[in-house]
Amino acid sequence: MSGRHGTPEELLALRDGEGSGWMREHITTCAACAAELRGMEQMRARLRALPAFHPPRDRWEKIAPLVRQERERRRVRSWAGIATAAALSGLTFLALRPGTSDIAAERAALQRVMAQSSALEQALQAIGPGTHSMPAEAAMVAAELQDRLSQLDVRLASPQLTQRSQALELWRERAGVLSALVDVHSTRAAAASF
Amino acid sequence: MADVIPLGEAKSLVARARAGDMGALEQLYRAHERGVYTLARRLTKTAEDAEDVLQETFLEVCRSLGSWRGDGSLWGWIRTIAASKALMRYRREKVRAADSLDETGEPEGGTYVDVPLRMDLEAALERLSEKSRAVVWLHDVEGYTHEEIAELMGMTTSFSKSQLARAHKKLREWLGGEALA
Repeated sequence: MSGRHGTPEELLALRDGEGSGWMREHITTCAACAAELRGMEQMRARLRALPAFHPPRDRWEKIAPLVRQERERRRVRSWAGIATAAALSGLTFLALRPGTSDIAAERAALQRVMAQSSALEQALQAIGPGTHSMPAEAAMVAAELQDRLSQLDVRLASPQLTQRSQALELWRERAGVLSALVDVHSTRAAAASF
Repeated sequence: MADVIPLGEAKSLVARARAGDMGALEQLYRAHERGVYTLARRLTKTAEDAEDVLQETFLEVCRSLGSWRGDGSLWGWIRTIAASKALMRYRREKVRAADSLDETGEPEGGTYVDVPLRMDLEAALERLSEKSRAVVWLHDVEGYTHEEIAELMGMTTSFSKSQLARAHKKLREWLGGEALA
């Protein structure tokens, strides 16, 4: 046996499977350190055996409305941001390019697809995502569509978006994604009503 | 606490919650509220603080569901959010109180006359400073490494190791066991 005992840090490291060579050797010959190590192991076992606490109140009743509010705020913020960005983009296009019949046609197409996107958004809100449960596979699809929608929103809100044709494509894709989302949620709502 | 929901089921619940299904979110909450609340009780001072941590944790879970990749433990992910929320309170209070968090009534090197001869483990744990209690709970019960604890608490690994040793020494003293000097 060497002249000193293991420090608490050394013994705890040994207990956790990280002890030094000296400590591993020492513990085989030092009864005091071996007893200390057992005490540390027992303390950990006792701590792990302590019972769980139960929340005293049903906190979900308080959390659920906050979640709904936050989701609604995010949705509105996202839509307002897109609308603003779209308006600004429209102004940019006007400033950058003189009016031609092609541009007028593109602008009209953009307005149509934005209106379609807005109508789908309202339809989605009317169905009320979150008010009906949905099978796992449909939920996965909806989550992926929601992600895609968020990605499109980020691209549409980007100040680097200056090409009307590119914006038109993105808005078309957005309307398509929204349409798919409406399908997924309306199927779920219909199933829930049976 | 181990994962209370099998991974496949957890993935599907998370997907439904992300799609806006409040029922799925509630299921996630119900499955984890005890684990989160227990952890929060161990890392904060009062039951009210722990309730606040429970609420903050689930609001954060709802916000960040998309960042859980589904390839690891859902409870592990939620637990880290909870630990981080609880320790954030500790840090805020530390800034406010300029760290008066050394062992409650435990003078360095002095004698403390109001310590009962023996305590139960709950009382002894309660008596530890918040930082010692956090370290011993995160390491010995939740299984966090010293490196992970150091990162969560914004401290060093050696701080975590020394706090653990200190906590063990104190607990064993207060519980009537002998510890090596």
